[in-house]
Amino acid sequence: METFLKNPKGAHEAVRDLLKGLLENKLADAVLVAARTPYSQLPMPMLIADGQHLEKAVPLLPVAPFNAARQAEALLRQDAGRKLALVLRPCEIRALVELVKLNQCSLDQALVIGLECYGRMENHDFLDKYASGEGEPAASRIDEQLLCTACRTCTRCVPETADLTLATFAGGLEKGIWLQAKTEAGEQVCKDLELGHKDMDPGHRQAVEELKAGRGQADRELVEAMARAMASMEDFQKIIADCINCYNCRRACPVCYCKTCVFVTDVFQHPPEMIFRRAEKRGAVKLPTDTTMYHLTRLAHISHACVGCGHCTSVCPAGIPVADFFKTVARKTQELFDYIPGRDLDEPIPLLVFDENEK
Amino acid sequence: MNKEIPRIGVYVCHCGMNIAPRVDVEQVAEFASRLDHVVVARDYKFMCSNPGQELIVEDIKAHNLNRVVVASCSPRMHEATFRKACRKAGLSPYNFQMANIREQASWVTDDSRLATAKAKDLVAAAVGRVAFHRPLQTRRVEVNKSVLVIGGGIAGIQAAISAADAGYKVYLVEREPSIGGHMAKFDKTFPTLDCAACIMTPKMVIAGQHENIELLTYSEVVGLEGFVGNYKARILKKPRYVDEDKCTGCGTCMEKCPTRRVPSGFEEGLAFRPAIYSPFPQAVPKTPVIDAEHCRLLAKNKRCGVCAKFCEADAIDFDQKPQYLDLTVGAVIVATGFAAFDPSSMVQYGYGIYPEVYTSLQFERLNNATGPTAGQIVMKNGQVPRKVAIIHCVGSRDRNHLPYCSRVCCMYSLKFAHLVREKTGAEVWSFYIDMRSPGKLYEEFYNRVQAEGVHAVRGKVAMVTDIVDDPGRGSLTVVAENTLTGRNLRLPVDMVILSVGLQPAEGAGEVARMAGISADGDGWFTELHAKLAPVNTPTAGIFLAGCCQGPKDIPDTVAQAMAAAGQATALLAAGTVETRAEISSIDPDICSGCKSCLQVCPYNAIYFDEGRQVAVVNDALCQGCGSCSATCPSSAAAVAQFNDSQVMAEIDAILA
Amino acid sequence: MEASFEPKIIALVCNWCTYTAADLAGTSRLKYPANVRLVRLMCTGMIDVKYVIKALLDGADGVFIGGCHPGDCHYINGNLKARKRIQGVGSILESFGFEPQRLALRWIGASEGPEFAHHMTEFVNTIMQLGPNPSKARMIL
Ligand SMILES: Cc1cc2nc3c(=O)[nH]c(=O)nc-3n(C[C@H](O)[C@H](O)[C@H](O)COP(=O)(O)OP(=O)(O)OC[C@H]3O[C@@H](n4cnc5c(N)ncnc54)[C@H](O)[C@@H]3O)c2cc1C
Ligand code: SF4
Ligand code: SF4
Ligand code: SF4
Ligand code: SF4
Ligand code: FES
Repeated sequence: METFLKNPKGAHEAVRDLLKGLLENKLADAVLVAARTPYSQLPMPMLIADGQHLEKAVPLLPVAPFNAARQAEALLRQDAGRKLALVLRPCEIRALVELVKLNQCSLDQALVIGLECYGRMENHDFLDKYASGEGEPAASRIDEQLLCTACRTCTRCVPETADLTLATFAGGLEKGIWLQAKTEAGEQVCKDLELGHKDMDPGHRQAVEELKAGRGQADRELVEAMARAMASMEDFQKIIADCINCYNCRRACPVCYCKTCVFVTDVFQHPPEMIFRRAEKRGAVKLPTDTTMYHLTRLAHISHACVGCGHCTSVCPAGIPVADFFKTVARKTQELFDYIPGRDLDEPIPLLVFDENEK
Repeated sequence: MNKEIPRIGVYVCHCGMNIAPRVDVEQVAEFASRLDHVVVARDYKFMCSNPGQELIVEDIKAHNLNRVVVASCSPRMHEATFRKACRKAGLSPYNFQMANIREQASWVTDDSRLATAKAKDLVAAAVGRVAFHRPLQTRRVEVNKSVLVIGGGIAGIQAAISAADAGYKVYLVEREPSIGGHMAKFDKTFPTLDCAACIMTPKMVIAGQHENIELLTYSEVVGLEGFVGNYKARILKKPRYVDEDKCTGCGTCMEKCPTRRVPSGFEEGLAFRPAIYSPFPQAVPKTPVIDAEHCRLLAKNKRCGVCAKFCEADAIDFDQKPQYLDLTVGAVIVATGFAAFDPSSMVQYGYGIYPEVYTSLQFERLNNATGPTAGQIVMKNGQVPRKVAIIHCVGSRDRNHLPYCSRVCCMYSLKFAHLVREKTGAEVWSFYIDMRSPGKLYEEFYNRVQAEGVHAVRGKVAMVTDIVDDPGRGSLTVVAENTLTGRNLRLPVDMVILSVGLQPAEGAGEVARMAGISADGDGWFTELHAKLAPVNTPTAGIFLAGCCQGPKDIPDTVAQAMAAAGQATALLAAGTVETRAEISSIDPDICSGCKSCLQVCPYNAIYFDEGRQVAVVNDALCQGCGSCSATCPSSAAAVAQFNDSQVMAEIDAILA
Repeated sequence: MEASFEPKIIALVCNWCTYTAADLAGTSRLKYPANVRLVRLMCTGMIDVKYVIKALLDGADGVFIGGCHPGDCHYINGNLKARKRIQGVGSILESFGFEPQRLALRWIGASEGPEFAHHMTEFVNTIMQLGPNPSKARMIL
């Protein structure tokens, strides 16, 4: 079913009404939603148990400090005896689906509310521009050029597996927001909250298509340019030349789920004579070692699962376009394995299934 | 990180004239002496000789070596020899590595310079990796002194008796009410034509009465886990509704039961049985079962209980419930046999359409003295057939059905031909593709049957039809092509016997899954090695006997059953088994609990610790294949002797 | 320069089939190029993608992977897992300009000594044609 959540103060207030309804009617014991702390304009994922605190919730703002799938996972790791509603962006939901497949958490006690996402700006760009909160863009579309590269080239901007979708792209955001129930659980919530059906704005579909088409074009251009830029190992090593092996990119990555990355285990703590040997052989070796190895291995491990959120790039202190080369390689691996990450909980992880007839 | 500084000894073998002239062994030893951590490096004429081994032992002591590398032949040849030498000197045999500079260097190139360069690389690789070797531990685990046999055909019966005779407790699980399997249905067996019952019944009785055998009939294995020496099996005992301890097997209940027209499975649908029944007169155990689906009281809730009224032993118990039994056994013998191919799908043969078309198993019953016709080969109308066609290879050697040869059909078809000739004098026409009679006395049997005047036609039958040219000469026509003469044939007959092929027993896949064994594309269980380990499976402690491994006759079945029992009892007699050293282990501090490794382990050797949310390797089940280690992104799972550090050190050293 | 090119090949092979075939090639005195360095593993199923990546980054001119024919793997299906994994890492390495021919996967059964020698010859020839792995000339990064 579909409906329009009305609130004269606009979309954010309408979303808050919805979340408040969930808490008051005990349909959720708490909600995880991007909200502001008292000290910054930058929202953080916040677990809100008391509806009063919902006034700080700003899920539609075009900024996200990181992919909140990991925070969601921390809350859904084991049954905490509570029902959780989560307001997430499409890439966060996709990552969460991958994490469920990897036994990192379960969605049994979760109500997923996805939002149609116009994209996010880099944190510093957002803060530079709106430090005071003046002229903040809220939910409506902003200039694509202000967005981070990942979002500017993201075509999966509509949630695919959410229980409820906040249909931002249907417009009317100054008067409220459109809501769609996508699963039985979602329908039930609408029923419990006594939301009456209203036919979706006919312009919605077209708005979605238009956005996707534009993004698709940008995406193709990016991938082509990147493929050219890294066409040899030497070229690639130029791209990652400033990497300082801080591993922020894998910490930010929502699908890099390892508790301890193999690159910080004993396996890569080489005995010194081994490093000397490498230096002796080629005359010199860069330290820390294994930088290229790290990036290639991470690609081999999870490029099939990369959800394209771009957070690896966002956190890199060296300004390396990690997400861009991930996207470029992921395009190929996902095609090879005929795998679309985050699409379906039942879609098996490619490297874990195999049979004789594969070629 | 290991703080023990490696002290490595390297020994380069001349292997007489096999390595030395081609590979410059002195140069290789000199090269080795300059590698990191190498304390001594020598070359010697024959490292595997006693003095060669002594050289290692003495150096270990004199130079306090903690790692050893021998560059000589293939580790498949002498790894064990040198490991033993290390052990003798008090060094862990796992702190050893071999470099194969004979099979891989001196023998495969004529160029001395290249051979020497290659030998150096291989030595460097071994030295590089051995620095990362660690002593490994193995354990001995107790073997439980009992055997579980699944399936009570001739294979299972024989395996059970052999193991029980050796003094071990045996649980023989059969899903039917009686043991016996297919052989219990036969009257005569090829090639000797001895009476099946005469050789089978005594075996069944021995199995039933053996003090070491516990028969669990009308039962199924529903769970099997554990590992060699320690399998835990869960057995479902289906309710018989008759108390086995009280029943005397008198059979009164069966006579009195008012439900009389249930098609008998044992009689292949050629006769009826009551709702309370024992499948055949020589059944073991004799205790009947009530077929709850057809019993008036159990199925239709009618007031009946006639059997209970007449049972003097008071053995009928309508309140019986399914029971579960948990057993611990040291070894498992799988003997689930075969199922006959159902020819209904091959409509051209008319089975299920024309009453005078029989399957081979039906014919076995028709010919059996205890069967529906008391052994008379007659048609449904009671008359003796005048002309009988036997069609070989029904379902077998057919891409659309069973692609393989079922091995016993030609022979049993010849048996049928003989029996028809002998008992009825009817004309017999056998249609075959190739006559296969390999086996002791088989060709002789074939010649004998041919001499009895059987018409053998080489050719495939196109169809069996009731369109007849002359109703006086038979109710059916067999249309075939004689491929030897190229002529088409329309043969009027009274009776057609379809020699159906063999396929795996129903539920075999489920048994394979539980036991962690594999099946080939046709569903037959795969042995560990086709020639050298024909009754073993890749899962230690699980053995195969009889047709479950592939179609075979009774002599081969019995031989395999005895072999399987021999293997199982040898394991039990040893008392303990040593766990392997080169197996996987999972570091719980690194494991993220993603369960990926559980999905790829071919032996179900990894379980999940729900409490800690980490995967754990069962070291008795792990075979060390490394599927888990290559799958685990954080390398929490690692196979000893083949961990990332060791393999990458090898690669590093080759390329350095 | 080209004439003196002696490629270095890392061959990751399983103990049960391809390593045994290599032994057989040796005992049969079959000649094949001496450029191949065998790394013996228990099964191709234990080949971690890191081994392939490392070998190529560290300058191996080619990586050859040899295992049992499908259906013959000593551990049931390790080779099938390897095939898929190698396909994945191969496609990634290709994105960075490694010629796909530098990474070969072949099934060589235990009795196939001549096939082993043949595959080695063929692979070394292919690598000779491709020339050295450019990574070899550069600093390890
Ligand atoms: C028509 C015909 C005629 C033949 N004539 C001859 C002949 O004359 N001479 C000769 O040498 N060979 C003959 N054979 C071959 C002979 O039948 C087999 O060699 C022999 O029966 C194989 O014995 P088995 O114990 O392996 O299998 P089976 O006889 O099939 O016994 C398997 C037993 O296991 C039981 N079982 C199956 N699955 C399970 C389970 N999951 N749990 C518990 N129990 C289970 C079954 O109920 C059955 O009792 C003939 C075969 C056919 C079809
Ligand atoms: S975040 Fe940037 S600098 Fe840090 S490891 Fe990743 S790419 Fe390198
Ligand atoms: S690799 Fe980068 S873009 Fe892909 S999921 Fe991880 S953080 Fe997001
Ligand atoms: S694959 Fe690795 S991280 Fe995942 S459960 Fe297995 S050991 Fe743990
Ligand atoms: S090494 Fe192989 S058998 Fe052992 S636990 Fe890992 S996958 Fe299973
Ligand atoms: S053992 Fe040879 S590929 Fe698995």
